[in-house]
Amino acid sequence: MTVVTRDAVTLAPFGVPEPELQYSAGTPAIAAVDLVREYPRKRKDPVRALQGLSLTVAQGEVHGLLGPNGAGKTTLVKILSTILLPTSGQATVCGHDVVRHGRDVRELIGVVMGGDRGLYTRLTGRQNLEFWGALQKVPRKVLRSRTEHLLERLGLAAKADARVETYSRGMKQRLHLARGLIGDARVLFLDEPTMGMDPVAAREFRKLIGELRDEQRTILLATHDMTEAESLCDRVSFVRDGTVVATRSPHAVAGLVSAVQGLELDSADAALAATLAEVPGVTSVTTDGATTRILVRSQDDFPRLLHLLADHGVTSLRTLRPSLEDVYVRLIGDRGLEV
Amino acid sequence: MNLLLIIRRAFWLGARDYTAIFTWKTWLTNWFVRVVAQVSFFALIGRMLGDPGQTQFLLVGNAVLLAAMVGMYAVNMVSWERNAGTLPLLAAGPTHPAVVLTARGSYLILDGTLSASGALLVTAHLFGMPLPWPRAAIVIALIAVVAASAYCFGILAGSLLLGFRSIQTIVTNVGLVTLMTLCGVNVPLDFYPEPMRWVASVLPLTNGLVAVRLAVTGQWQAALFPAAWEALVGIGWLTLCLLMVTALVRRGRRHGTLDYAS
Ligand SMILES: Nc1ncnc2c1ncn2[C@@H]1O[C@H](COP(=O)(O)OP(=O)(O)OP(=O)(O)O)[C@@H](O)[C@H]1O
Ligand SMILES: [Mg+2]
Repeated sequence: MTVVTRDAVTLAPFGVPEPELQYSAGTPAIAAVDLVREYPRKRKDPVRALQGLSLTVAQGEVHGLLGPNGAGKTTLVKILSTILLPTSGQATVCGHDVVRHGRDVRELIGVVMGGDRGLYTRLTGRQNLEFWGALQKVPRKVLRSRTEHLLERLGLAAKADARVETYSRGMKQRLHLARGLIGDARVLFLDEPTMGMDPVAAREFRKLIGELRDEQRTILLATHDMTEAESLCDRVSFVRDGTVVATRSPHAVAGLVSAVQGLELDSADAALAATLAEVPGVTSVTTDGATTRILVRSQDDFPRLLHLLADHGVTSLRTLRPSLEDVYVRLIGDRGLEV
Repeated sequence: MNLLLIIRRAFWLGARDYTAIFTWKTWLTNWFVRVVAQVSFFALIGRMLGDPGQTQFLLVGNAVLLAAMVGMYAVNMVSWERNAGTLPLLAAGPTHPAVVLTARGSYLILDGTLSASGALLVTAHLFGMPLPWPRAAIVIALIAVVAASAYCFGILAGSLLLGFRSIQTIVTNVGLVTLMTLCGVNVPLDFYPEPMRWVASVLPLTNGLVAVRLAVTGQWQAALFPAAWEALVGIGWLTLCLLMVTALVRRGRRHGTLDYAS
């Protein structure tokens, strides 16, 4: 019997966890330990936006932060970029403490917050970049060519000399990204950077992140876009209620819920489907034209299922691996719109 | 060295920001004409009182007041910066927001100097009290000192906005009215009791205006001391401003108020 995964790779024994990605030893680019951040509220207990969050990101890693609204992603990014002090806990960027040596941290980082605010709207895109570059202490000659390069790379060259107030939202977001890159930062914090970008721009953005990774930059990327996280990140962390609930490579996240979620057969035999539905551990069986999809509760239910299928002469099947989105929903819980 | 470069950049950024609102033509027609009319109005009151000394007093006072007025516009600049939401990004950068904020509005010093000197020269000419050239140059230099120290005061007032929201109009108006009444623009300094004169002496404009009044009548050597005092007052306010912004940014980091929100 051949067992073929959806991406046509032979799946040896079920449920073997993929090894964690290995990174060069040495000082991590980002290390957060037990971070707590409370926001005071009037006549109420303070909100605990972070409740003992720990996270390590290696040099050169692209690390995704996934989690529902209000999980604490932005709060974490703010603390790491020294805009916000933690209530307790510790964090370092390239070995520099964000509280005690904020100044050193600020020399190394680039920050891009989602949304279209934070630009000088009466100035042109080029002027914005040149100004921020000066603040980032980029030498003058370098600044000129880098500005040109970034405008080109982000598709803003045609609008470079128009005032930012005439930009569309996605163009402002691109300019923000260029602004975050103007200082040649080693560590980049991107908080929902593709918010408001059209699909083509978002794809260009992904290409750009790939290039930045090739340049050995470290990127912490908070996003709600699963495709983005899946295609860009070396690892992702799921953040819920101010803590990291799991960190994996996007390809290994499936192992968090179960390596294989179910099976798909090239047969739509109604009798077989009925039999399968009776097997303990099978949660659903659906037939659709020429295929049958079987979902199981856990890994342990597979051996029995496979035996049964073999007995029925089924020789070809595919495993259904959960997507990052499936994992996200299972891990974070389907809380609807509640925050 | 680097700091100077940043200040220069910030100056140009502010200036470009300003030229996005004003061109030379609109500056002359919308702004300059208005301020000349304002100074002429007060000079006319002096003339109606029938006292040439009074005319000159009001004319010079109200012209130099313009330098202080423009300096107070720094409040609007800071408020604009806050509304643009750049503050958290500045705070995450290697150049301190205090430096950026103070440098960014420095074009107002130039604007204030031009407005006040221009209004003084034009109005003085209109009222038949022309200033001969070497004297005028000294007067302009002194006005520049006033513009600078008033700007330092204005930027401090503006930086209050970073900590305490929605007091912009109050700050600008209280600042302006105080300068207008206490600093010897329309009312001679010795009209007020001692404690108020004391307050006036540490405000911008007061000493600089004394210096300008002396220089206008050719006593430029006597003008040196009050001019130096004016500069010192400006440096004092600037120091206070830098400390204030630093403290407010620190507070913002603690309270989580460094945000995009206006
Ligand atoms: N300035 C603030 N004052 C008070 N509470 C705040 C403040 N900023 C954030 N919070 C609260 O802290 C929690 C975490 O917010 P945070 O912005 O970090 O979430 P997030 O994961 O970035 O969410 P989103 O996906 O919506 O961007 C939320 O409960 C939020 O209400
Ligand atoms: Mg957020």
